[in-house]
Amino acid sequence: MGEQEKVNILMVDDQPGKLMTYEAILNELGENLIKARSGKEALDHLLKTDIAVVLMDVSMPELDGFELADMIRQHPRFQKIAIIFISAVHLTDLDRLNAYQRGAVEYISVPVVPELLRAKVRVFADLHRKTQQLEMLNRDLRTLSARLMAMQDEERRRIARDLHDGIGPLIAALSMNNGLLAQQTKKLGPEVGEVIQQNNQLVEQLSKETRTISHLLHPPLLDEIGLLPAIRMFAEGFAERSSVKVTVELSPDIGRLPPHVEISVFRIVQECLTNVYRHSGSKTARIKIEPSQEKLLTVEVCDEGKGMPRTNGVPLAAGSNHGVGLSGMRERLRELGGTLDIQSSEKGTTVIAAVPVSKTMGKSL
Amino acid sequence: MRTRFLIVDDSELVRKSLRTVLQANPDWEICGEAADGESAVALFKEVHPNIVILDFQMPGINGIETARRMSEIAPAVPIVLFTQHASSDLEKHARAVGIRSVVSKTNAFPMVGMIEALLGPTDPDPGAKESPSPGKD
Repeated sequence: MGEQEKVNILMVDDQPGKLMTYEAILNELGENLIKARSGKEALDHLLKTDIAVVLMDVSMPELDGFELADMIRQHPRFQKIAIIFISAVHLTDLDRLNAYQRGAVEYISVPVVPELLRAKVRVFADLHRKTQQLEMLNRDLRTLSARLMAMQDEERRRIARDLHDGIGPLIAALSMNNGLLAQQTKKLGPEVGEVIQQNNQLVEQLSKETRTISHLLHPPLLDEIGLLPAIRMFAEGFAERSSVKVTVELSPDIGRLPPHVEISVFRIVQECLTNVYRHSGSKTARIKIEPSQEKLLTVEVCDEGKGMPRTNGVPLAAGSNHGVGLSGMRERLRELGGTLDIQSSEKGTTVIAAVPVSKTMGKSL
Repeated sequence: MRTRFLIVDDSELVRKSLRTVLQANPDWEICGEAADGESAVALFKEVHPNIVILDFQMPGINGIETARRMSEIAPAVPIVLFTQHASSDLEKHARAVGIRSVVSKTNAFPMVGMIEALLGPTDPDPGAKESPSPGKD
């Protein structure tokens, strides 16, 4: 194991002698020791530094240990700090209970056994270090997953573009040539006319297949005229392919949104409809997109299917085919600062994504 | 007086096919070609076409924006949007900027008949020689 990062341990006591004793005991842990002579001084340190463990005396003038613990716990940033009380008085079970209710992790009575104190502080210092490492790994993972998702979007966009620019013109040219030939049917005779007709149908089929692939990869209208037409077009195509009846309710007030928001919302709707088709057994789906607050967009997709698989009444959100899509949706929303809510019962599933948008949504397009 | 077409598409292949299809009618001629919206608008001012066949998805400004600019210059000139992405939504946007008709590139079959209808009775019997009713089977 390499050199590990030091964490900060805050020791709070109004008596300098005791602080020196704690320092002597904890020195060999090799962590950063910070001393505070009062509750107020301790709060100053907490605000400025990332503290792993607070070791504090219960009885102090002005702000006592319990009050200080209350103040610490009220602050969301400090909720995970390990608080260890040391007390020469207040030794009843009720006092201990009081301390634990205030979020203490340990309640040590005087006289302090140095080895014991050291061991306890070490456990919480290590825990803090591990939590930090986990948080860092988590952040890295999120960055990676966001980058992967952006790359995937980009790659899909590129392939769709290639289909459009490469194969699209070929199909168009074929179709036009067929049109020209069809004009000559009389001259060429009925047999040839029949072949031309068949060719025309083949070109149409080819075009339809290419279109479907290209549109699923990247909706063509999204970049050019926006999210709402792209969703309507996708929903129409989906309904046609899947025989699921899709109702679309889109508020025109949304207008254009930043490209990364538009593609994310589109992908969320796409994923939801895919789930409706693959897993729900529902014959209907409803897409509703509207501003729910001034700068918040609500995207709702619901079906009347059999609901999601459940464990102990909680929809299973990971480890199944559902899970991959859902976690992808969650990641996309996390990137946008939004949330995902899933309500599922045997009468159907409703997925609600809340997406913050930076502009105020008003009338446009 | 022959009908003069401006054709706008970023694909050389599509322009070539359009040329073949349109020039099959002896009363029609291509007066200009452009591969993107900006140069199409410039050419539009210069060559004064009677009708424009316009692609939707192109590098730079798209067909809708190109049509908007052309309509500002000469609103009477009919513009046909020729696209791989024909849909009711696109059609709505297209109509809003003065585009007269949206034709699917991948089913270009009825295009000629549609253009004739757009050009109206000023051209009573186009392609008179061989095919009295082009575009219809």
